Amino acid sequence: MSTPATFQPATVIRSHGFTNESLEWKAWLDVVQLGEATPDQMAVLEESHPKAKTSDYYLFLVHQPHILRERSTAFNAIMYAPGGLSRAERELGATVVSRINGCVYCGSVHAQRFEQLAKRSDTIAQVFEQPETAGTTAREKAIVQFSIKITEQPAALDAGDIDALQAEGLNEGEILDLLHSDAIFAWANRLMLNLGEPLLPA
Amino acid sequence: MTTPVTDDLIDQLVGLAPGSRTYAARHQREKVAAATQGSYNALFDPALPDLTLTERLLVALYASRLTPAPELAAHYRERLQQAQADAALIQVAEAGEPQDAQRLNQPRLAAILSFTRTLIEKPVEGDKAVLLALPAAGISTPAVVALSQLIAFLSYQVRLVAGLKAMKASEEAHA
Repeated sequence: MSTPATFQPATVIRSHGFTNESLEWKAWLDVVQLGEATPDQMAVLEESHPKAKTSDYYLFLVHQPHILRERSTAFNAIMYAPGGLSRAERELGATVVSRINGCVYCGSVHAQRFEQLAKRSDTIAQVFEQPETAGTTAREKAIVQFSIKITEQPAALDAGDIDALQAEGLNEGEILDLLHSDAIFAWANRLMLNLGEPLLPA
Repeated sequence: MTTPVTDDLIDQLVGLAPGSRTYAARHQREKVAAATQGSYNALFDPALPDLTLTERLLVALYASRLTPAPELAAHYRERLQQAQADAALIQVAEAGEPQDAQRLNQPRLAAILSFTRTLIEKPVEGDKAVLLALPAAGISTPAVVALSQLIAFLSYQVRLVAGLKAMKASEEAHA
């Protein structure tokens, strides 16, 4: 989940407790010590993320390696698969969901990913400031509105919410990619928010 | 339950069948569909240690009811009945609160449901004290990880079902 420390945002954004600066994350309970990891746990760490062996997040979740393996597969397929919704728009969905859920850590990581992919951070500044009105185009606004509604009121989603995305030019495959990236952040935010806390690097 | 068109739980619950545009879009992302089903299988694996299958199904029913997600609540209620779970405990998940588990002399389940409620409804309020209430109730770290992944997965699963239902409704409205 971490972005390489070499990435520096063009402009630092700080708003409502959110930031696009790099953060670290510390678990509140005991993590698996690498020296005591089973071969299966080592294999799952290696397939989850390039930096998983030095990340408290992965070292905590690898207490249940089979669950982590499936979660990492789903996450990577949703956020990185080629085709469909642009990767920047998937990152926008992820950032909106994290902003609504109050996940400062995920908000930071995915604000940075959006900026790396889109080469701008104007929409992110808007999402941090006031998500309800964020979006620099009608298409972005539709993506943001859908991401807010599925986060706050999933049971109220209906055909009209899909039609609003189609009206801005999203096809079924793109809508599905947005749905997946919004939904996977319902998952990711709850782990990051409830198992530990973000820290500014020393 | 109607006859399943596939053995994919999400397809079954949403009623997605080959030939529909929503089904086709979903299965263009087969790796995601497979990992979604794989996560469900791993989280409800009867052989998973640390947290009993009945505890996991009670969490799932309670979380589905809180969201609410009626199709998922019905699914998890049926699985609890198949597992011959105690009817009084099913009633707590279906209609009660964590304190009701306490009154049934189930303090471990009360702690689990209380954590579930916070994560489902107000994840931002889940601070360190909320998490540490679990080991204080005798729940091991691997069980805490299984429980946290389960509640977080359910938050994903209910939104995936809700979004696919909306996509299917839109497809049918424009057919």
